[in-house]
Amino acid sequence: MNKIIVTAVFSLFPLVAWAQPKGYTSVKNTTTFETELSNANAGIRTINSDFSQTKNMALLAEKVKSKGKFYFMKEDKIRIEYTQPFSYILVMNKGQVLVKDEQKTSKVNTKNSKALQSVNRIMIDCMRGTILSNPDFKASVFESGNSYLIALIPSQAAMKNMFSGIDIYLTKKQFDVTRLVMKENGGDLTDMNFSNAQHNQPLNETLFKVK
Amino acid sequence: MKPCLKLSSLSLLLVVLLGACGNPYKKLLQQPTTSSALRFQPEYDKVLYRGIVDGKMIWKRFHLSGILMFKKMEDSSIRVVLQNEMGVSFFDFEWDKQQQFTVKQIIPQLDKKAVVALLQKDLQLLLMIGLQSQTESTFSKDEETYQRFSLDKGYVYYISTNNQLTRIENAGKQKVTTISLGGKNGLKELPERVVFKHHKANFTIQLKRIDDHVEE
Repeated sequence: MNKIIVTAVFSLFPLVAWAQPKGYTSVKNTTTFETELSNANAGIRTINSDFSQTKNMALLAEKVKSKGKFYFMKEDKIRIEYTQPFSYILVMNKGQVLVKDEQKTSKVNTKNSKALQSVNRIMIDCMRGTILSNPDFKASVFESGNSYLIALIPSQAAMKNMFSGIDIYLTKKQFDVTRLVMKENGGDLTDMNFSNAQHNQPLNETLFKVK
Repeated sequence: MKPCLKLSSLSLLLVVLLGACGNPYKKLLQQPTTSSALRFQPEYDKVLYRGIVDGKMIWKRFHLSGILMFKKMEDSSIRVVLQNEMGVSFFDFEWDKQQQFTVKQIIPQLDKKAVVALLQKDLQLLLMIGLQSQTESTFSKDEETYQRFSLDKGYVYYISTNNQLTRIENAGKQKVTTISLGGKNGLKELPERVVFKHHKANFTIQLKRIDDHVEE
């Protein structure tokens, strides 16, 4: 069952195309980009934002929409809380993952799962600005007038089986993550958009409780 | 004399117990079939459900949630897709125009013959796919009408009260699965709530409609 939860957790990450996206050009000096990204995130202790998610089912020509709240607390605490059209909470805290739906709460220790460790790390990397040094993905960086795009291609077998890629969109101004796109091997796409992001607002530790 | 009394008491008890554990459909009274249960066969373009699965395999309990979509395609095929809350598909099943079943996609963790067969059967019973109309028989018990079709193994009963389909039961010598239907507004409408309870497999699937969040 842990594997199924891992699968669920993986859907967090927007996966997408790796070819140069329309409107973006390749960033040549990724070292400079990574330094700037890391510097921008150094002063961020907490993030809370709204998010909306659209699942595009290619073959069925359907879109399923949901929305909720996203919370991050340094160093490694994340809470994703779906509020509509269902209640679903996923909390990551120090290698532990808690999943709560309308009926049950389940806890998973990522130490027992390499895939979950990978998921945990990529989420934290996104928020801390260390995503380019993640060995589980091959990363390419692109830019447009006001945003950056980090395109990740999974190099780990467990991820390759599910996703063809992950795209992370950031603002150039503050390096805020505004969009995550996950592309499944079958052509389906999950698109998460983040809005109303607030930095360094006090967040209650209980949001990240996994016990 | 006393041992004889004891023996007869035990026999009586045994008969009562056997009766209690026996075929739950034994007391059904056969009736002429005036209107086929196929009048309840669901008609829909697309329907979305919140789904929660609980079960136990050997000693280990499991719990799973997601979104289940039913869609009738332009070529009259039917697709049923289960995905998790964050969008990753667990499985994608298809019944083509000839009602032939195909697994279009399934995650390795669910790709077990027994699991696929169980899900296929559940969904077919709900959607009334593959029923052999020539095997249909009608029975009554109290206020309920039981309309029975033969399956490869056992039977399926579509049970209605006042022309309202309330549950579906799959049984052999004993009841195997009960599918309870709630909030079914029209004769051919998929219900608001569905609960699949597998009596032998210790496996339950609960569905609740959330149609408002689907867009084409």
